[in-house]
Amino acid sequence: MATTTTTSTPFPFPPTYNFPPFFTPQPNTTTRHSQLHKWSLLIQAWCRHHRQYRLNLIEAVDTPLFHNAALRKRLDLREARAVVDWMCKSEEEGGGGRRAEWIDADGQKSVAWVWWRRPEEWADVVSEWVEGTGQKGSVLTVYEIVQGEGSASQEFHGMDFELMLKSLQVLVKRGKAQVFGSEGQEGVKFF
Amino acid sequence: MSRRGVGIGAFANRTQATQSYATHGANLRSTHTASLQTQLSVFQSLLHTFALEHSSTIKSNPTFRAEFARMCNTIGVDPLAASNIKGKNARRLGEGGSFWTQIMGGDMNDFYFEVAVRVVELCRETRSENGGLIGVEECRKRVGKGKAIGSGLQVSDDDILRAVRSLEPLGSGFSIILVGSKQYIRSIPKELNTDQATVLEVIQLLGFVSVSMLRLNLSWEKARAQTVIDDLLADGLVWLDAQGPEKEYWSPQNLLDDSR
Repeated sequence: MATTTTTSTPFPFPPTYNFPPFFTPQPNTTTRHSQLHKWSLLIQAWCRHHRQYRLNLIEAVDTPLFHNAALRKRLDLREARAVVDWMCKSEEEGGGGRRAEWIDADGQKSVAWVWWRRPEEWADVVSEWVEGTGQKGSVLTVYEIVQGEGSASQEFHGMDFELMLKSLQVLVKRGKAQVFGSEGQEGVKFF
Repeated sequence: MSRRGVGIGAFANRTQATQSYATHGANLRSTHTASLQTQLSVFQSLLHTFALEHSSTIKSNPTFRAEFARMCNTIGVDPLAASNIKGKNARRLGEGGSFWTQIMGGDMNDFYFEVAVRVVELCRETRSENGGLIGVEECRKRVGKGKAIGSGLQVSDDDILRAVRSLEPLGSGFSIILVGSKQYIRSIPKELNTDQATVLEVIQLLGFVSVSMLRLNLSWEKARAQTVIDDLLADGLVWLDAQGPEKEYWSPQNLLDDSR
């Protein structure tokens, strides 16, 4: 499971990235909110660009995402955690609309899902694809969905297995699919 | 007329004189008004023809529009005021509508209202990032780009200013302020004091400021410099960068492009 796949085109950083104060937590709450929002967008865009679904903060603090070498500014681990913490909260709690989720919430908080699409949103994409390609009622393995030729043009092609299972679980809850089989060899039937 | 009369008759004389002066004055005034009125109507019809002839250019070309508006301004015709006040009512009453709605078919004031809506939207969206202060130029660029594809409006700085001014009757608290040589739209009804304006001007020139820079360049006391900066920070008008050797304060004016 590759967490860091490099794509050929370089990531287009937004202008904010070259704004030195972007890397310092802002003392003014309103400004801070705006800053966190921008970080959230940047992290999502970065992960999307690199087809990355989980973010390991300990590794990521040394990548260009959190480290602007040209400006010699960086977001340290503690700050990066604060940003992801904010992303995890819903908008009602004054957070970033649950755009991230800690995988090790109880532990040291170093790996998180980054939801540039939430599992529910992925579920929609998958079910649309299933419907569009007339695979309703047929049985597919999860491997086929993620790695198969049929999904080559889809955004979820090559996706994290665990995330695909999460998304399929959403479809199960909606009564639109059934997942069976043992771990690692799951199959799924769409209704 | 004549030398001053003597005795009681003089009073009568004087009243007479005042009266004839008054009538003569009234005469003069009325002829004056009449001639002015003719002039005005001639001018109006000329302006009419001009606006009609060039209406498409006025609508599509921002520079031309600005020049046209400037011309109207110098001769004391405010296109916005004319369309603002009478536009809606007149249309409802089925009359000819205001001068401008007649000529431009309501497009002119609708155009400025549209711009005003965009400006308000933009100011609201970016308030948390720039503390309610946005450069007219940045604003124009953003309005020009638009949000959805094809929704960009080709506008000039002048159009933006006019649109902001058209909001005034609403008591919206939107105002234009001048810092240094640059115009800003202030969307929070709060005044900047001279020190704050000075610091913002310095930031405009140098990109950022620090306490020691202010002390050196403006020979301010440390406390004074710090207070001004703290105030600006509290209002969200500057952002702090604490990763350098000294704390630096930057203006968020160039951030706009990515906040989509």
